[in-house]
Amino acid sequence: MENAIEVKELTKFYGSLLAVDHVNFEVKGKEIFGLLGPNGAGKTTTIRMICGMFRPTSGTAVIAGFDVSQKPQEVKRRIGLIPDISNLFGELSARVNLEFMGKLYGLDKKTRRERIDQVLELFQLKDRQNDLVKYYSKGMHRRLTIAAALIHQPEILVMDEPTSGLDAQTARLVREIIIDLNKEGRTILLTTHQIDEADRLAQRVGIIDRGRLIALNTPEQIKNSTEGMHALEIKILNGVDQQQWIPIISGAEGVDNVFLAEGKIRILSKDLAQIIPTVVNLVDKHGGKIENISVAQPTLEDAFINLTGKSIREEPMSKEEDIRRRMARSGLR
Amino acid sequence: MKPLTSFMHSVWIAENDLRQSFKSVRHVVWSLLFPIFMMFTFSFRYGATGPDIQFINFLIPGIVGMTAMFGSINETMSIVWDKSLGVFDRILAAPVSSTSIIVGKTMAGAVMGVISAIVLLIIGSTLFGVVFANISAVLLVILLASFSFTGIGTIISGLASEPREAMMLSNLLRFPMMFLGGVFFPIEAMPAPLPYVARAMPLTYATEALRAIQAGNPAVVFIDAIVLLVYTVSTILFGSQILMKIMTR
Repeated sequence: MENAIEVKELTKFYGSLLAVDHVNFEVKGKEIFGLLGPNGAGKTTTIRMICGMFRPTSGTAVIAGFDVSQKPQEVKRRIGLIPDISNLFGELSARVNLEFMGKLYGLDKKTRRERIDQVLELFQLKDRQNDLVKYYSKGMHRRLTIAAALIHQPEILVMDEPTSGLDAQTARLVREIIIDLNKEGRTILLTTHQIDEADRLAQRVGIIDRGRLIALNTPEQIKNSTEGMHALEIKILNGVDQQQWIPIISGAEGVDNVFLAEGKIRILSKDLAQIIPTVVNLVDKHGGKIENISVAQPTLEDAFINLTGKSIREEPMSKEEDIRRRMARSGLR
Repeated sequence: MKPLTSFMHSVWIAENDLRQSFKSVRHVVWSLLFPIFMMFTFSFRYGATGPDIQFINFLIPGIVGMTAMFGSINETMSIVWDKSLGVFDRILAAPVSSTSIIVGKTMAGAVMGVISAIVLLIIGSTLFGVVFANISAVLLVILLASFSFTGIGTIISGLASEPREAMMLSNLLRFPMMFLGGVFFPIEAMPAPLPYVARAMPLTYATEALRAIQAGNPAVVFIDAIVLLVYTVSTILFGSQILMKIMTR
């Protein structure tokens, strides 16, 4: 299948700060591709370069056959960008917002009217189309943001953290919309810092950390990279925060990684037979009582930890560095 | 991109900005209340019991110029809000050239300046009976002045990283201009070196040109119009340079 997006050696410096470091990947036509990484990893900068909003320091991004550095307008016509926050005009109604976007994408009056009716119907916003967007709920904002990106019927959709900050019900709805849009034949590039989202939605995943792409494969294959690695989940009862057990357990022999996942302590190790008695004895020695213990299948998060040596849930870098990256990206230096 | 398409993009961006500004009735009322308040306050000069008619003929052209300044700069500063709310990114992600965006924002600023100034002109003429000698010349000066203030607005928008900074920067420029730009006091009456400072401000030329129209002095109007044109071109070019850097970073 032809590639919809081809990124080669894409690099971006903000002053002296290296935000994206020689990133290479392709997104096949009609594929859902996930860029997974913690906040500040370089995901947003990467997609902004792909969308023609930031100029790469070096490297190329070819979208639908057009080099973004040479033909940014052609690229923009073929991409629908859905940012992580709703960036519609709050003082205007949904219909006027969509009308404005339709004009910018060069749609004639008749086509605009048809498309606006179509997307308002699709995202169940027709009855509120004349209300000011500032009075919309978060879920309605999200739906309208997606609708605005679809007004010119782009072949490629780029979504930055599509379910970030949404309640579970709205997040599920957005995920369903993403799958439906992909079934209609659209290529989708999404960024996420949520491992389960990448696992659920993406056919292939690129793991990005500190500006570098460190893994690229299907979620299954990435999980298989933990081959020989076992995951052990335990819950300890003693009234103490589970977090406090992490430094105790991480020091034990045979333990490769320990982190908290959904309220349980998850231990990665290559030697399951050795670590079960070791961990049980250690907990006992420190006055803890194991409520339950189970062996689990390696997940994408385990693979992420295996590759990066840290959990995606952890603070990925110092606060100062994170702020510096964000300021550099937004142009506030 | 075809020039007509680029121009239409600018028109739609300007239309969208103005639509937002006029959507909020409160926004329009608040922005006009300030010059109206200043007009009434200063019309009662030096403890006089009623409005000083001679001074009103001096004051109204100044207030009209000042209103154009506030309207244009405020409207152009919407760029800073757009940047902070992310709506600027929405336009940047669309197939629109950076030049079209700047032209559109500039057009919106100038239109807002002209509309605000005309409202004050009508209020001033209706309530105080000030008759403008040559309305076409008045409108041309207001338009030129509004464009030059818009240029200042683009510079502020380019330099400010967030709305609060933009407000502080704009106050730093607007208030000295308001008091030194010959709106309330003739610059000839100011102690040195303030007249020289006033001569560096576009508002000075706008008020001077509007008064020269009333006095029937076309030579002054012409010179002031040229200065305003130079101001417009240089500030818009400089502001555009800064904004271009942001848009193509």
